[in-house]
Amino acid sequence: MAIEFEIYYILFILVIPFLIFSLIWTIFGLLYPLVFVWGIITSGKNIDKMIEDVNRRESETRKLRGKDPLSTIDGGYRNNVSDSGLVYASGVFGPSHWHLLIGWLNNLFGGSVTIFQKVISTGRAEVIQRLRENAIADGWDDVINVRIDTADMTPQSSQKGVKGVEVFAYGTGIKYS
Amino acid sequence: MEQVVNGVLVVNTETIPGKKITETLGVVSGSTVRAKHVGKDIFALFKNIVGGELTQYTDLLQEARQEAVARMVADAMTLDATAVVNVRFATSAITAGAAELFAYGTAVKYE
Repeated sequence: MAIEFEIYYILFILVIPFLIFSLIWTIFGLLYPLVFVWGIITSGKNIDKMIEDVNRRESETRKLRGKDPLSTIDGGYRNNVSDSGLVYASGVFGPSHWHLLIGWLNNLFGGSVTIFQKVISTGRAEVIQRLRENAIADGWDDVINVRIDTADMTPQSSQKGVKGVEVFAYGTGIKYS
Repeated sequence: MEQVVNGVLVVNTETIPGKKITETLGVVSGSTVRAKHVGKDIFALFKNIVGGELTQYTDLLQEARQEAVARMVADAMTLDATAVVNVRFATSAITAGAAELFAYGTAVKYE
């Protein structure tokens, strides 16, 4: 009796993960076309909305400070600085699968792939604006030595998973005495 | 930001603005690998079809970066450094859904 019970127990443990995974992928397969169509309808509009939003916040910041607080130069020449510290902002952005399809078609004909450029530059503008907002929230007057990095979220070894890039901006916040 | 509260100043400039560096103590670094649970991965997969920002991964990398910086600061504290200058960051995706964050800089003493 005891041995039989153990066999059932092992079978149970082996089967349950397969069942869960198959269930998840079945749901994914069923929902995919719906979400894809939803993406076709909304993704273009969403990018335009994001651009508008970023531009509005950027002009607000410029109005608040009178100028852009960010600069990429090292602040060695400044001598009236009382305090400094690291400030950073990041975001992960991906094109929709509809945009991937357009981009793939665009690739066939060559030239600039406008749709990816639009997605990534929007993400970058958003992250730079977040850096400005973080700096203001932390109480810095200016941000010097700003660097902007872009890292691929999808590893080269596997083509599974999400398609996206991570944009990361960092700099040194300074306070004038 | 919380890593500056630890008593170690962190900047990514070569010099500390308004202060004088007296001694360099060597390279310090901190790294971390983090992943989200499957539920959030699946949600991100769906969000990826529609496009736009993947908030789950933004949060993931934000947490990971804070941890990497905290480890770098802890490394600097073992050297009795008062600041870490010229901080650089590196990101690599190991598999989809897990990311390695690496932060490094030079530990220094300033007056």
